[in-house]
Amino acid sequence: MFGYLVRRIATSLAILFAVSFAVYAIFALLPFDPAALTCGKNCNNPAIIEANRIRLGYDIPFWQQYIVFLGGLFAGRNYGEGAAAINCPAPSLGYSFNEHECVTTLIRQALPVTASLAIGAMILWLIVGITLGVVAARFRGRSADTASTIFVLIGTSLPTFLTGLLLLVFVVIKWRIIPFPSGNYTSLFENPLEWAQILLLPWITLAFASAALYTRFVRNAVIETLSEDFIRTARAKGLSEKVILRKHTLRAALAPIATMAGLDFAALLGGSILTEKVFNLPGLGRLSLSAVVEYDLPIIVGATLLSAAIVIAMNLIVDILYAFIDPRVRVAA
Amino acid sequence: MFKNTSGSSRIARKALASLAAVTLLGAGLVGCSSASSGGGTLTYLTHSDSWTHADPNRNYTGQHIAWFGSYMHRTLTAYKRAAGADGSSVVPDMATDTGRASNGNKTWEFTLQDGVTFEDGSAVTCEDVKYGVSRTFATDVITDGPGYAISMLDIPKDKDGASVYKGPYKSDGNDTAAYDKAVTCSADNKTITFNLSRAVGDFNYTVTYLSFSAVPKASDDGDKYDMHPVSTGPYKIEKYVAKDEMVLVRNDKWSKDSDPIRNAYPDKIVVRFGLAEEVRDQLVINDSEPASMSLDGILPTNLATIFDDAGVPVEAWKDRAMNVYDPYVTYSAVNVEKVSCVQVRKAIYYARDFAALQTLAGGAAFTGDPADGVIKPLMGLDYKKTTGYEDWKEEGNAEKATALMAEAKTACPDVYKKATTTGLTFDIGDSDTNKKAATIWIDSVKKNSGIILKFNFIEPGSYYSVVLDPTKQGDLSRAGWAPDWANASTVIPELMLDGYGFPLSRAGKDPTYAEFKKRAEANLSEPDRVKQGAEWAALNQYVMDQMWIIPGVFSKTQEMWGSKLTGVFFWEPQGAPSFGDIQIAK
Repeated sequence: MFGYLVRRIATSLAILFAVSFAVYAIFALLPFDPAALTCGKNCNNPAIIEANRIRLGYDIPFWQQYIVFLGGLFAGRNYGEGAAAINCPAPSLGYSFNEHECVTTLIRQALPVTASLAIGAMILWLIVGITLGVVAARFRGRSADTASTIFVLIGTSLPTFLTGLLLLVFVVIKWRIIPFPSGNYTSLFENPLEWAQILLLPWITLAFASAALYTRFVRNAVIETLSEDFIRTARAKGLSEKVILRKHTLRAALAPIATMAGLDFAALLGGSILTEKVFNLPGLGRLSLSAVVEYDLPIIVGATLLSAAIVIAMNLIVDILYAFIDPRVRVAA
Repeated sequence: MFKNTSGSSRIARKALASLAAVTLLGAGLVGCSSASSGGGTLTYLTHSDSWTHADPNRNYTGQHIAWFGSYMHRTLTAYKRAAGADGSSVVPDMATDTGRASNGNKTWEFTLQDGVTFEDGSAVTCEDVKYGVSRTFATDVITDGPGYAISMLDIPKDKDGASVYKGPYKSDGNDTAAYDKAVTCSADNKTITFNLSRAVGDFNYTVTYLSFSAVPKASDDGDKYDMHPVSTGPYKIEKYVAKDEMVLVRNDKWSKDSDPIRNAYPDKIVVRFGLAEEVRDQLVINDSEPASMSLDGILPTNLATIFDDAGVPVEAWKDRAMNVYDPYVTYSAVNVEKVSCVQVRKAIYYARDFAALQTLAGGAAFTGDPADGVIKPLMGLDYKKTTGYEDWKEEGNAEKATALMAEAKTACPDVYKKATTTGLTFDIGDSDTNKKAATIWIDSVKKNSGIILKFNFIEPGSYYSVVLDPTKQGDLSRAGWAPDWANASTVIPELMLDGYGFPLSRAGKDPTYAEFKKRAEANLSEPDRVKQGAEWAALNQYVMDQMWIIPGVFSKTQEMWGSKLTGVFFWEPQGAPSFGDIQIAK
């Protein structure tokens, strides 16, 4: 088991390294001059662009820039001189001149927002999706199943931004069921009630489409499991349908759901752009979106690397959990 | 000051100081209530993720200058807070008077009044103002602000035409002594003297800019200062997080005694960034936030809820909305170096279907009137209706355009051939509206003149860095401009003279440029304001005679606010509401 863990961690680190190089290379080789994107209207002056190129370290070959970038992850980086000198401590992912802040700090500020959104939404969609999926499977062909099918159709048809906008305009603005939040985001540790109030509609919005998908997925998985031989054996032993469903069917049917949820969660942590945009949440999604719009390369590189790291980490966790659950995975690896 | 016409959410808006007593539609004081008082939380709503700049030395957007100038940043002089043309008067702010000129307007002195402090209670000194101005020379760090200090102060230029003084951050190769000679402080640190390289009769207007604000050296951390500027006004920053919100609270070190021009009505001011445009509009339309005001334009789809067809607020909105002329003139700059044929330039002007473009943008009631040059009628002394284009038609004049192209065929065959075969490249920001507008341009210009237009859609964030680079600019470029203060000295030279701020037309390459340059430079130092104004108007005619730009519209803007707000009026010189006068009704 130890050898397996070491191999998987080493592989994950190698993938992360390769991704970091690829991401850095892609943005370094794009036909944009990053120095020319840091001086606004003053960029009509070649001397100013050149000064910024030197200040930001874009005047050296690409491979050297990458080494400096990697060095910054461990030792931090300094830009400029005098009172205008900027220090981004380790792990430094660079400095954003659009946001006037070190990229690591920006990500550190945005990550709790996105994590709050992702965790809450995932809990909601798992509860709704699993419950409706099981009910639909249990009462297959009856009105409960039909109702869940309608829910699935609506949930998968409505774009996230439209769901969010409708909720915001009607629930908050027109009907005033929920007051308009007094701030865009409040930390859970500062004010739990306000935190929940701000995130309630974003959770519902994000969970709506996913819950619909999970309902369909769970329904199919449960129906498939219910037709397995071991279920027939359980019935033959005289176990009640409730016990069969809870102890045998769900355990078997939900194992792949856990994997799916883990990867979906990783994707959400990379940023839920539309939901964050509609509800004005200052999370990773909005940070990445504005960085793309404004060609803020340090943020794009930093956010992409973070997303890659999260997906790789979640894959690693899922693989390790599988190895614990199923020894055949270790042997095969 | 340029306008971002490229569809970016960061729309630059700049000041227009009106000398004329022009009555604006809905521009007077509205929303007055006798039940107003201090206190409460005033909320501003915006789609933007943050302010373009909060650092006073980097602020060059009219609305933002009005906002920060109302609440946080004091300047040596400022515009009077009044509706109508009265608001264009310059009054003392941090200074004891509106400045004392000598040496033929090449030396200007301002003395700081007592009691002006930063938010920590320390007195604002001449050295603080001098330091603030010095930061504008660090053009690699302190970006986007106006360059008037660089162009006006008597500091030598190097062989590349850049100032030998590079700002306060550089140690090597930086001629600090040159700056110390150009800007001096008296022994008591109360009087600042600016020594200029040329006579500037209205330098006291120049120093209304926030780029002439005081900055405490100890708090300056270059680029990062943009997120935590130190206040000299009635409010200070409690919180500022981009994509989230800004919260201003009362600055208890500010004294009304030293600042008679500012008010401090609300207890707290909040700016909510990044709201979806429809949500922002609906919050105000449904009055869900009655003590709020939108900082952005109104979505075209919501205009009919608020205004009638003539653009006048309907009864329910008469105290909560305005539709006014903003400071901008929009235009398409013709790159004279590449389109060196006045007949072809004029043919495009005559061939364009202006009416269709205006309809696309929402109609005349909301977009504005056809422009006849780069100077707006609000400029009073500097404006005179240009002549020679009486046969121009809103739907295009095919006959005239065709005749001009026939002339061009013999007068400038190379440009004629290029225009009618390979075509002319038109730079424009990449947005859905601009793409629709492009089809109107292409169809109408081709149909009415035979000229082929090819559009180059440029990512909004890099639009101006592309078109300002002569090696990258196309044959035509879309733009907008507003005067920086009540003098077309901030329009004609800035747009047309080589070495000035926004030379998209590259007029310096035109054979007729020498005469124009001579007159424009001479007029910058003209002491008689009436004569100067007449000459700017004549030079505006010169620009149109040469068709260095194809004029667009004298544009309009719409504003709306919640039912609890009172005292809202359009502050003409800043082209924005007078934010500091807005109160919350009891």
